[in-house]
Amino acid sequence: MKTLALFTIFVLIFGTASASLANDAYAQTDPNILLRIAEQADKQISKQLERSYGDSIPSDIRSLFLQGHAAVESLEKSLPEDVEQARNDFLTAMKSFKQISKMISEPVGKAAVSKLTSVVDRDLSSELDRLEKHVENLKTISEKQNTKITFEEIDYLIGEAQNQIKDGTATPETINELKHLVDSIQKEISKSSSHSASDRIKQFVEKQLEIIDRKLTKASDAGADVTQIDNARDKISEIRSLIEESDISNAKIVFNQLNKLVKNIERSVR
Amino acid sequence: MNPEIVPTHRKESLGEDGMLFVRTEGIVDTMVKIPLLVAGMIIAAAMMPIQPSFSSPRTLDLIIYPDGLTHVSTEIDVDPFVTDYELDLFGSTIDNFVAVGENGFLLTADVVGNFALIETFGSSVISVEYDIHDLVSKQGRVWTFSLDAPSDFTLLLPKNSAIVGMANLPINMEIIDDKNQLTLSNGQAEINYLFSTNSIIPGPEDPLNPASAPDYLSYALIAGAVSAAAIGTAVVIRSKRKIVKSIQDKQSTQTTQKTETVDAETIFKLNPDIREDDKEIVKFISDNGGQALESELRKKFLQPRTTMWRAVKRLERNEIIEIEKKDLQNLVKLRKNVEKEE
Repeated sequence: MKTLALFTIFVLIFGTASASLANDAYAQTDPNILLRIAEQADKQISKQLERSYGDSIPSDIRSLFLQGHAAVESLEKSLPEDVEQARNDFLTAMKSFKQISKMISEPVGKAAVSKLTSVVDRDLSSELDRLEKHVENLKTISEKQNTKITFEEIDYLIGEAQNQIKDGTATPETINELKHLVDSIQKEISKSSSHSASDRIKQFVEKQLEIIDRKLTKASDAGADVTQIDNARDKISEIRSLIEESDISNAKIVFNQLNKLVKNIERSVR
Repeated sequence: MNPEIVPTHRKESLGEDGMLFVRTEGIVDTMVKIPLLVAGMIIAAAMMPIQPSFSSPRTLDLIIYPDGLTHVSTEIDVDPFVTDYELDLFGSTIDNFVAVGENGFLLTADVVGNFALIETFGSSVISVEYDIHDLVSKQGRVWTFSLDAPSDFTLLLPKNSAIVGMANLPINMEIIDDKNQLTLSNGQAEINYLFSTNSIIPGPEDPLNPASAPDYLSYALIAGAVSAAAIGTAVVIRSKRKIVKSIQDKQSTQTTQKTETVDAETIFKLNPDIREDDKEIVKFISDNGGQALESELRKKFLQPRTTMWRAVKRLERNEIIEIEKKDLQNLVKLRKNVEKEE
C-alpha cells in the first residue's frame, strides 16, 4: 500500500514536471538556423559596404563589420558543441550588422524614420495581393452563410488589375475602385448575416438568462436580499423584451448590468 | 477499529515514571519522506507553465508585404459566456478587418483606435484577420519590423528580403514560396531587413542540427545487423573483387571524361570574397575533373571530417559546388552554371 502511494506521488510529480519540460524543448532554437541567418547577413552587409564605399570603408563601420564577421566565424566554430556560445555569437553578429545597416542607410547620422503611412509611392502589386486575400476570406464567409452574393464582378476586376500591373498601366484609381467594391460586398455579407446573427444572439441570451435564473433561485434559497433578487428578475424581463424588439445594443447594456448584479448577490450569500 | 499501540517490550516493566515505549521504526522515514514529497509536488506545480487562458492567441501568423504592410491572422480563445470581446490590435492603422466566429459566421466588430470590439455572443474561438501599417518602418534602405507579441508567432518576410539585424533568437526558420518564414518567441521582437536579389537562406541539410541528430542506438542496432550480414557476404565479394575493380576503373574513367571541367579562376572572379582555404579546395576539385569525393578532400587537405564538411557546406551555400550522394559518400561537384550573385 505504502509503495503504491509513493509510486502514485512520483507519477504525479514527474507527470506535472514533464509538461514544463516539453514546453522548454519546444522553445529551443535550432542552432544551425542561427548560423544560416548570420552568414546571410554577413554576406549582405559585405555587399552593401562594397556598393556604398568600395575600398574606402569608414574605420568605425569597418571595425563594426570585423566584429560582426568574427562573431559569425566564432558561431560557426561553436557549433554543434557549444550552443550557448553560438547564441551569444549570433546576437553579437546581428547587433553589429544592424548598426552597420543603419549607418549605411543614413550616412548623415540623423535618422528619419518614415512610417509607411506617409510613403507616397504606392506598391499597387502588394495592395492587390492583400485585396485578393481579403476577397478570398469574404468568399469563404459568404459560402458558409449561404448569402448567394456573386463575386463575378470583383473577380473580373482583379483579373484586369493584374493584367494592368503586368503591363505597367495600373493606376491607384484601379485599386481604389476595387476597394470600394470589396467594402460594399463586406457590408452586403454583414447585412445578409444579420438575420442568422440575431437568431444566434437570441439563443445565446436565452441560454444565459436561464443560467442566471437558476443562480437567483439558489441565492434566494440561501437568504439573499429580496430587493436585489427582484431587481435582477426585472432586468431579465427587460432583456427578453429588448431581444424581442431586436434592440440588441440596449439588451447588451442591460445584460452587462444584470451580470454585475448577479455577482454581487452571489458574493453576499457566500 | 481502534488504533492499537503495541508496547515494544511487553515483558519489561514500565518503569517508575510509567513511560510507554512504542515502535518507531517507520516514523522517522515517514516524517522525512512526506514533507519531501509534498515539497516536491509544490515545486513541480510551480514549474508548470501557466495554462492558456481566455484572450491568449492560439495562433498568430504575420505576413509582411513588399510595401511593408503586414497581414495579421490570429485565432483567439474567448469566454463563451460574455457578449463582447475587446481585442488589442498591434496599431491603429487597420485595413480589411474581418472577425469570424467558430461556425464561420462573420462577427460584428467596431475598430476604434488600437482595439476592436467584437460581438462574440457565445463563440469560444474567434478568427481575426487584418492588415496593419504600424509594424514596419523604413530608414533609408533598411526596413524594420518590430512587435511586442503576446504569444509565439510566425513571420513571413517578403520575397527577396535579406535579414541584416535581429534582436532575438528565432525558434525556427522555413522557406515558403521562396520567402523566409521565421518562428519567433513571444515578447519584444525586432528584425531589420533589406531587399536583395539573392536572399533565400539555404534550407537545413546538416548533421550539426541537434534536432535532426540521428538516433544512435537505433543506428547501432541496424549497423550491427548490417555488419553481421556484411561479414557473411564478405568472402563472396572478396572472391569477385578483382573483376569488380576493373569494372569500377572503367566506370571512373568514363565519368571523368563526361564531366565538364570548370575553370577555377572564373569561379574566383565571380566570388571575390571566397576564403583562401576554400580556394584550394575549389582548385583541387577543378583539377580533378570538376568533382571529388568528400573523403578524398579530407585526405588531400588533412582536415577532420567536421571542418571539411563546413567548408563544403560553405561552398554549397555560395552556389559554387553541389553535393550528390554516391555509394553512401558525398560527391562534391563544381556547379556548371556559376553565376554572379547580386
